[in-house]
Amino acid sequence: MAVKSIIELNNVHLKSDRGDKVFEDLSLHIKPGRSAVITGPAGSGKTILVELLVGLRFAESGSVELFDECLLRGGKSLIRRTRRKIGGVGGVYGLVPSFTVAENVLFPLVLAGERRRIRRERLLKMLTEFSLLKQAREYPPALTRVEYTLTQFARASIANQPLLIIDEPLAGLDATTYGRISEYLVKVSQSGRSMLILASDAPTRELPDTDYYRIDKGALLCVG
Amino acid sequence: MCRVSHILKELGHNLYRNPATALGSLMSLTLLFLLFDLFWVAAGTSERFYTRLLADMQMEVFVAEETPESSLDALNRSLEAIEGVRAVAFISREMARERLTSMLGADLLVGYDTANPLPSSYVLSFDPGYLNCADMTRVENEMAYIAGVDQVYYSKRWLAKAEQTRTIILNVGMALGVLILLTALTSSANNIRLMIQTRAVGLRRMRILGAGRLFLATPFLLEGLLVGGLSAGIGWAVIFYARQEVTFTQFELVAPSLQEVGIFCAATALLGLTSGYLGIRKMLR
Repeated sequence: MAVKSIIELNNVHLKSDRGDKVFEDLSLHIKPGRSAVITGPAGSGKTILVELLVGLRFAESGSVELFDECLLRGGKSLIRRTRRKIGGVGGVYGLVPSFTVAENVLFPLVLAGERRRIRRERLLKMLTEFSLLKQAREYPPALTRVEYTLTQFARASIANQPLLIIDEPLAGLDATTYGRISEYLVKVSQSGRSMLILASDAPTRELPDTDYYRIDKGALLCVG
Repeated sequence: MCRVSHILKELGHNLYRNPATALGSLMSLTLLFLLFDLFWVAAGTSERFYTRLLADMQMEVFVAEETPESSLDALNRSLEAIEGVRAVAFISREMARERLTSMLGADLLVGYDTANPLPSSYVLSFDPGYLNCADMTRVENEMAYIAGVDQVYYSKRWLAKAEQTRTIILNVGMALGVLILLTALTSSANNIRLMIQTRAVGLRRMRILGAGRLFLATPFLLEGLLVGGLSAGIGWAVIFYARQEVTFTQFELVAPSLQEVGIFCAATALLGLTSGYLGIRKMLR
């Protein structure tokens, strides 16, 4: 059954571990097929927002709903199921150090219980698409920053999850990779998958079906 | 299916990536179980030794001097009726004299031909289940009420000592078993906890991707199961090899049956599984 909204945050209040206010009355709505780019300086709470969405933190008040279900009410089982519907890059979505590049990329399909043939086909497609064939048997500590980021993108794309969360996608990338990733983001936003992009600066390339926000003093301001 | 293969692969990875931890765990558990096995064999051997000695144990009941010949049948029947008595054998005065002569090699009673001073007696043998201090004392007490019984003799002190020794072996075995159980549990659980700590970052990231706790914990549980069962198996293999190579002339080493060994290995595998659970229980919260 089609969901009405991918992310729905209503009047969320949250304090940091030190007791500082992080979010005050924060609301965000992302409908299926639409994306959102949230920009803000370091320490503005972008990564904390991701942690809130994947159930690593819980709001003090307000509601957090993903795929029309309230994370707080659903318990551990719902959080686990919700996490499987999200592909992630950056921030909390680091690679598993003990897995090879291929194993990292495959992991969402393993969790989904996908058949071996399909896993192989999709893995090959992703490794080719992100130019990671040579690195398939490498472990994350041996990868360059670019290869690491590309592996995360490959992993976030292999299972075609309905939501893609990308935390600082373009930081530290060379011009060529920056261009490739920007193109990839356009392609994803056109594909009907929803994206939530969190970055210090918005991607230079305009993304279709995307709302732009700035996080300021714990609230979101729509900027386009 | 792919989750199962992933779990098995992870189990292999755990052992392959941390061979020292896995091997250390296997070696320490093997040594612990070997100690337990040795005690098991020692206890079994001593138990058989005592059982054989006890099987030969008899009670001698001396007939009172004034008992008429006509009462002996009734006395025999009374003795046979006592619970636990398997057989009653009558030893006449003459037979007693012959036995004494054969034991000493000379007839000491040459001058007593007309008045043999040796009393006639009954030798009682018992069912194995009654060869213990409590039952023998009960039998002895019952004898006091049977007319014609003068004295009762059996190796009372030896029986008490044997029973005490068996109790000590049993208690030490139980204490040792509990100690080994706790040591194996903590040692194995600590090794698994150590492995989890070295992989904490990866496990956290897998959870963020939606991996369930049981999915992540199963390789560690299986590792505990495998190490527990395997270490017990190695321990028994060493014992059986040693038993085959070493022979004693006075007694034979008694090892448990293969079925018992199998049950023991299964129990230690379960112990390993429990230790795996103890190692990962924080992760499961």
